[in-house]
Amino acid sequence: MNIDSVYAISEDVVAHEIEGQLIIVPVTSNVGDMEDELYSLNETGRGVWDRLDGKTSLRDLITQLSEEYEASFQEIEADVFGLMKELLKRKFLVEIPS
Amino acid sequence: MHKSYIRRTPLPEAPIWQKLAGRKGRLLAMNLEVTARCNNNCRHCYINVPANNQDAKKKELSFEKIKDIADQACSLETLWCLITGGEPLLRNDFEEIYIYLKKKGLLVSVFTNATLLKQSHIDIFKKWPPRNIEVSVYGVTEKTYEKVTRKPGSFKAFMRGLNLLLDSGIPVDLKAMAIRSNIEELEQIALFCKKKSKSPFRFDPLLHLRFDGDRKRNQEIMSERLTPEEIAVLDRQDYLRFSAMKKECDNPANKVVTDNEKSFLFNCGTGLDECTIGPDGKFRLCSSLLHPDCVFDLNKGSLAEALRKFVPVVRNMRSDSSEFLESCRKCPIVNLCYWCPAHAHLETGKLDSRVQYFCEVARLRARSLEEQKVRRSEGRRTEDGDQRTEDRGQKVRK
Ligand SMILES: C[S@@+](CC[C@H](N)C(=O)[O-])C[C@H]1O[C@@H](n2cnc3c(N)ncnc32)[C@H](O)[C@@H]1O
Ligand code: SF4
Ligand code: SF4
Repeated sequence: MNIDSVYAISEDVVAHEIEGQLIIVPVTSNVGDMEDELYSLNETGRGVWDRLDGKTSLRDLITQLSEEYEASFQEIEADVFGLMKELLKRKFLVEIPS
Repeated sequence: MHKSYIRRTPLPEAPIWQKLAGRKGRLLAMNLEVTARCNNNCRHCYINVPANNQDAKKKELSFEKIKDIADQACSLETLWCLITGGEPLLRNDFEEIYIYLKKKGLLVSVFTNATLLKQSHIDIFKKWPPRNIEVSVYGVTEKTYEKVTRKPGSFKAFMRGLNLLLDSGIPVDLKAMAIRSNIEELEQIALFCKKKSKSPFRFDPLLHLRFDGDRKRNQEIMSERLTPEEIAVLDRQDYLRFSAMKKECDNPANKVVTDNEKSFLFNCGTGLDECTIGPDGKFRLCSSLLHPDCVFDLNKGSLAEALRKFVPVVRNMRSDSSEFLESCRKCPIVNLCYWCPAHAHLETGKLDSRVQYFCEVARLRARSLEEQKVRRSEGRRTEDGDQRTEDRGQKVRK
């Protein structure tokens, strides 16, 4: 994972906004753990997910979030990388070639 | 400290279910009856018409309309969709419907008799995994299976379809109806299902009547019903069912809270977070509720209108029948009973009539539970008695 990479949400998942909560449903067997599970994101996760639009680089995304949450770039970077690892592990994201 | 950003929740435990249940004007789950037609002709079936019934076929929701309804459901925050029938695999566009619902991000379940399953279905289920597939097992020998389905060759087709599913590793839930034509084989059916599938085997001994009110077919359903005594015996043998009933009984649903609620017809959650859409696009609050005052045509109005305007009207329906108000409406064992306004209507044409057969089953169930309670407390008393004798013995020894 590179800080200048750009990611988009895979077409193999659908995110539902239900009662203000983001629920991610794996749609094909390519993604998730093939377990009978739903996934939800915490608030930080939500902020990241909404910006994974296939255009914004991780660097820009972290900058935007650190402004929004008034936190240091390093703090947000650690959070974002943590979440990205989990999302990528389950193939919920695709990398957009530069 | 390790921080988790993403939460995985096993489906049945997801707190979201509790959170979502009962949200006004929203829909958690939708049952889609995509056809009433079936290639089988089960003696006990409440819905089937012949597979080649052109009139029924013509009236079925088009794929376009199903897409529209699914889109509406998703905008009302629906998460779960059941595809059932009739036999859903009879529809030529079953695969397209299934994939469309999956692509919407719905958790999709399918009810099927498995006889029409082919490799292309399996390929699709592997690529787009279903939430679950439930297959009905009407018998485990050709003789019994086809006694129920009245379709020569159906047993072979069922076994072939089921094996195709099982061999592909797709999780399958197996279930049975306990009826006159297969009761002799019920034990073998249970063994078969437990051997073939990891999920718990369920069977149901209660039949409701036809959705189309067909008299001859209703007679057939009635002659497939087990007697209340036979049902009570099955209940007692089935530990899981018996404990579930006990729990239900300890938590009676029929608590009338205010004077205003005394005459409500519905005392359940019907229409609050689930609905059924019939093959013709009629919205129903629950699967069996077909009274003409309780159905809403989705060809004439939207799902949101059905939920927000129509459901509250139905849920506000009242009864002025003193028989109902004095019996079913405040019955302490309603939780053990198959009676509900929907089943009463199928049985008697009225939403608020008592149903003698269901009443007898419920009373026998209540008696079984009572007897178990007495046996338990006698057992406890004997144990206590033994303990006291022992205590006394100890005192003497001291
Ligand atoms: C109508 S079928 C549709 C799906 C598929 N054709 C099948 O047989 O599983 C759905 C379930 O309803 C059950 N069923 C049929 N007639 C019934 C009745 N009169 N009362 C209660 N359940 C019934 C079937 O045995 C089946 O398990
Ligand atoms: S297979 Fe299902 S739909 Fe067909 S007749 Fe039997 S119960 Fe009815
Ligand atoms: S039919 Fe009988 S047991 Fe069932 S709810 Fe009515 S009174 Fe109670």
